[in-house]
Amino acid sequence: MRRYETIVIVRPGAGETEFSSVSDKVTGTIEGFGGLIVRIDRWGLKKLAYPIKKEAQGDFLYVEYAGLPDGVKEMERLIRIDDRVLKYMTVKTQEVFTPDAPKAEELAEPETSPAAAEEAEEASE
Amino acid sequence: MVIKKKKIFNRRKVCRFCTDKSLMIDYKDVKTLRNFVTERGKIIPRRIYGNCAHHQRQLTEAIKRARQIALLPYAGQTQQ
Repeated sequence: MRRYETIVIVRPGAGETEFSSVSDKVTGTIEGFGGLIVRIDRWGLKKLAYPIKKEAQGDFLYVEYAGLPDGVKEMERLIRIDDRVLKYMTVKTQEVFTPDAPKAEELAEPETSPAAAEEAEEASE
Repeated sequence: MVIKKKKIFNRRKVCRFCTDKSLMIDYKDVKTLRNFVTERGKIIPRRIYGNCAHHQRQLTEAIKRARQIALLPYAGQTQQ
């Protein structure tokens, strides 16, 4: 699994329920593909540096997660269709997901992660 | 010899990110990135602030990412 972060700019006039439906869509798709949400952050209404789809402001949603490329592809396809989303951007932050919390290891591929941990232990010895 | 004399006026510029290790380059951190773009939103060349090549490269990438998601302008405000 890889670690990604996605920023979604939601149309500001959409309202609270619309915003949460967009964020549910994003997180739901990632989890549907076996991903793991690390952090969801709402930055709130921010002024855009340049107008997007004639909007001067945008509601920012920040999601940090671990997932597979297929999950990201599908999630991006869905929010591209969505009219409420002005723009989005996904950035890969880690090639191999190293979780902050220990419970995340269960969801990560069990075959590769213990082997990598053993190698690291051997190297340190 | 002549070339050496010219170099006397060079003030040593040190990369800000190398001296302060806690300072991280992140495209989400607009406040820091603002220091490295002009008022018109252009990236300031590294010969001005003396950033090292490594950090300048990270900086340009961060600025370009910030532009994509509308945190920084491609072409800045003409006023101000």
